[in-house]
Amino acid sequence: MLENNEKLPAIPKLSSQHAELYEPYRALYIHIPFCKQRCTYCDFKTEALPSDDLAIESYLEQTIREIRTASKNSLLGSIESIYIGGGTPTFIGAKHLVNLIYTISLSVNLKPTTEFTLEANPDSITPALVRDVFALGVNRFSLGVQSFVDKELGALGRVHTAKQAHGAIETILERCENVSVDLMCGIPVQDLASWSFSLEQALTHQLTHLSIYPLTVEEGTPLAAAVARGALQPANEDLQADMMVAASKMLGKAGFERYEVASYARTGENKQNSASYRSKHNTAYWTGVPYLGIGEHAASMRIKLYGGECARERLMGNTVIESLSHKEAVLEDLMLGMRLADGVLASRIVSASQELPELTGIMEELQALMLVEEKAGRFVPTTQGWLLGNELFSRFILS
Amino acid sequence: MATQEMTAQENIRNFSIIAHIDHGKSTLADRMLEFTHTVSERDMVEQVLDSMDIERERGITIKSQAVCVSYTARDGQIYQFNLIDTPGHVDFTYEVSRSLAACEGAVLVVDSTQGVEAQTIANALMAMNAKLEIIPLINKIDLPATDPERVRAEIEEGLALPADDAILASGKTGEGIEDLLEAICQHIPAPTGDPNAPLKALIFDSYFDAYRGVIALVRIVDGVLEKNAQVTFMANKITTQVEEVGIRRPANTPVESLSAGEVGYLVTGLKDPKDVKVGDTVTLARGGASEPLSGYREVKPMVYTGLYPIDGDQYPDLRDALDKLSLNDPALIYEPETSHALGFGFRVGFLGLLHMEVIKERLEREFDLDLLATAPSVEYHVYTTKGEVLSIHSPQDMPDATLIERIEEPYLDATILIPPDYVGAVMDLSVGRRGIFDNMQYLSQNTVEMKWAIPLSELIMDYFDQLKSRTRGYASLDYEFSEYRASELVKLDILLSGKPVDALSFIVHKDKAYDRGDILTKKLKEIIPRQMFEVPIQAAIGSRILARTTVKARRKDVLAKCYGGDITRKRKLLEKQKAGKKRMKSIGSVEVPQEAFMAILKVDE
Repeated sequence: MLENNEKLPAIPKLSSQHAELYEPYRALYIHIPFCKQRCTYCDFKTEALPSDDLAIESYLEQTIREIRTASKNSLLGSIESIYIGGGTPTFIGAKHLVNLIYTISLSVNLKPTTEFTLEANPDSITPALVRDVFALGVNRFSLGVQSFVDKELGALGRVHTAKQAHGAIETILERCENVSVDLMCGIPVQDLASWSFSLEQALTHQLTHLSIYPLTVEEGTPLAAAVARGALQPANEDLQADMMVAASKMLGKAGFERYEVASYARTGENKQNSASYRSKHNTAYWTGVPYLGIGEHAASMRIKLYGGECARERLMGNTVIESLSHKEAVLEDLMLGMRLADGVLASRIVSASQELPELTGIMEELQALMLVEEKAGRFVPTTQGWLLGNELFSRFILS
Repeated sequence: MATQEMTAQENIRNFSIIAHIDHGKSTLADRMLEFTHTVSERDMVEQVLDSMDIERERGITIKSQAVCVSYTARDGQIYQFNLIDTPGHVDFTYEVSRSLAACEGAVLVVDSTQGVEAQTIANALMAMNAKLEIIPLINKIDLPATDPERVRAEIEEGLALPADDAILASGKTGEGIEDLLEAICQHIPAPTGDPNAPLKALIFDSYFDAYRGVIALVRIVDGVLEKNAQVTFMANKITTQVEEVGIRRPANTPVESLSAGEVGYLVTGLKDPKDVKVGDTVTLARGGASEPLSGYREVKPMVYTGLYPIDGDQYPDLRDALDKLSLNDPALIYEPETSHALGFGFRVGFLGLLHMEVIKERLEREFDLDLLATAPSVEYHVYTTKGEVLSIHSPQDMPDATLIERIEEPYLDATILIPPDYVGAVMDLSVGRRGIFDNMQYLSQNTVEMKWAIPLSELIMDYFDQLKSRTRGYASLDYEFSEYRASELVKLDILLSGKPVDALSFIVHKDKAYDRGDILTKKLKEIIPRQMFEVPIQAAIGSRILARTTVKARRKDVLAKCYGGDITRKRKLLEKQKAGKKRMKSIGSVEVPQEAFMAILKVDE
């Protein structure tokens, strides 16, 4: 064992000092940067490999050691949500996955209220895998379906079919009731009718959560190249808007609340944790909760306990990539708050405007533009505000 | 002080190199400097004479230059060559004519892969008019596509110049350079000025030195110019004491005096570049010449544009930058202008479109300014019903139509050279641009020369690009101002969200107003991004609406996914978007990108 250890790359030091200087992390993200095949639109940190590639094994071993170190340094004592994302975490196979989740279950105090999400792709879901990871504590699945139309899945370079997606959802629901599905609008070759069809198909299952997002053509992707040479045409702005509005209407009728610009949760109580079906983990990102990311290119956010100039830091590994002053952190919270149906408390704006006098004018202008409205003591985004989110959010970037 | 041995007049050779753009003039000059060891190879930057970055990048010469070269010829004699490099663009025709007036000969460079082009002819004609001895040189013979025999024939047929003895050379390899130097000694006549006559020195260029003031480049036609002499600039009768005279090799090298036939520089002691005018004559304050040299004229801008800082705070910086640039460019004139849409800026006059582009680029690059340029305009002469004549440089200054008796606009004589196949294409384009056909002749089997009278306002609207694209790049163009002629012109206004935007107004012929308005409103619809609100775009003459389009309100602009690692990235994207908006001009509540103001120039699509 010792010999083996010597060959492994050095473990980044998550120092124990950390725990005393910063607010405790409440969300944990583990990144698995491997996929069976890269989707045409993807610009994430991931790599397409054979599932038995040795790189996967050594990456997992490294990740497991980092989790243990974080635990030893008391960084994981207050974790309330865990998210294993990628890439395609389920692609690495049950053996690795079970090892990883077992480590997490040993390192984090898993309570019934702890949200533990595993991101998955329909083609890599098997009854055995669901059974094993569920037994170890995973209590929520986020399934990358994207579309229930095979032609559209083909355009995206997805490796699964609509039929496999249905099968995967059923397999998971047999054991775990908390299932979220990602659907994408604005796919080339998609029209309003086929988009409605995908939404209807999703609603044939007892899902607890849906993420709805418009396709973004990112630079440097095969999709961008196909668009550039005219082989594919992305949906125009009007169609994308119509699709987002249609989703909001259909899902609202079906008993979902749109609690964030792209997130819909089934209304009613989540009996497992006496809470809602909103994603606790994602909500952490939007509400200034400190999170720890482990794995290649996983970002962390920490909050200093004792002020100084910098209030909030983002890190990649152990490298600080961004330091926000108190003012900037306040603006970031407001910007992220505008993603949420709950918006921000009006009293929060009042207190923040002592430090940032511009805020009063900004809120007035946003209301005049009907991007934001005041409701029950809160400033909340309007539907229009969400559709023109960049316009809304960028008001909180002061130059 | 360098001890300069006086060169006898019979051993002086003053000459220019003239060529169509890109035919290799500057590279050839470099090889001559190298061959004569005027510039050591170590100090050799490509194209020594093009001293501005923009000149080197664009491969064009903007300023005139002069360099003095000593050459020991095969006959054992030492010759003093004064090579005067001239601007290579039609915008600078007058400057070229003054440079040529300082010479006895010219080397006519023709690219052996391209042949004779419009500016080859224009330059050759200018050289002939200036009674220069012309040495034809066929360049770039190292290239695979070289065809010296065809070019020789073109020179003989098209220019009526004997080309049997044309020198074959390559600026790249240096081949033929010595032949050229010998030909210059043998064929170009020595200057014949009288050193004992009253001083007449021709100013063919000037530049501004931060420490020494205005420095003029001069050719001594008659007499002697000495240090400390009291001299008069005859056009504006300004008298000053000469601080220094010298020759350029290529660094300024002081001498005691310059004598008839020589070329050199003169430190004038003057601080205002506008006092020293290209083409003017310098003489002695006492006992000077009674008549100046002929050929001087006031340089007048041909093209005007509004230049506005995108960020209003940069207005003082823009003013300072224009002040600085105009020190070395007396042809650049400007005055403050205010636009309702764009705020404070300047109306700037240029010699032509290239001059305008170069100045704008230098302002942005060397002075770090973000500028918005309005569509270029020409100088209109407006005759009012009250009997006044107004010179109008900007559409926004145009008086109300009811007060106008008639408007005159500048016409050009344009010369176009094309292969015979493209005669039809040039006809279509030029007639469409209100051109009046003058005549046509075959210069050779492969080259037709067409002459047109064309309004300058039409020519500056993308005419050259269109000419090139419709003739697959074969056409070449040269032009000169001819006269003002009356035209039925109207001012077309563009309205955004119902409000006229003064910076988008333009003057157009009555018969074209509808088409231009229609094209422009459509074009602006493509250029102006969708905004928070619907933006109607209208084209109107007075209160009459000619065309209308609408930019729809923005429906969706959101990058929806935003999880842990994305937050930084999303913020950066939003910041970038915001910076992009800053590059646009906010007019009322409408964000208008810069290219909107130039859209009027692209009317043929």
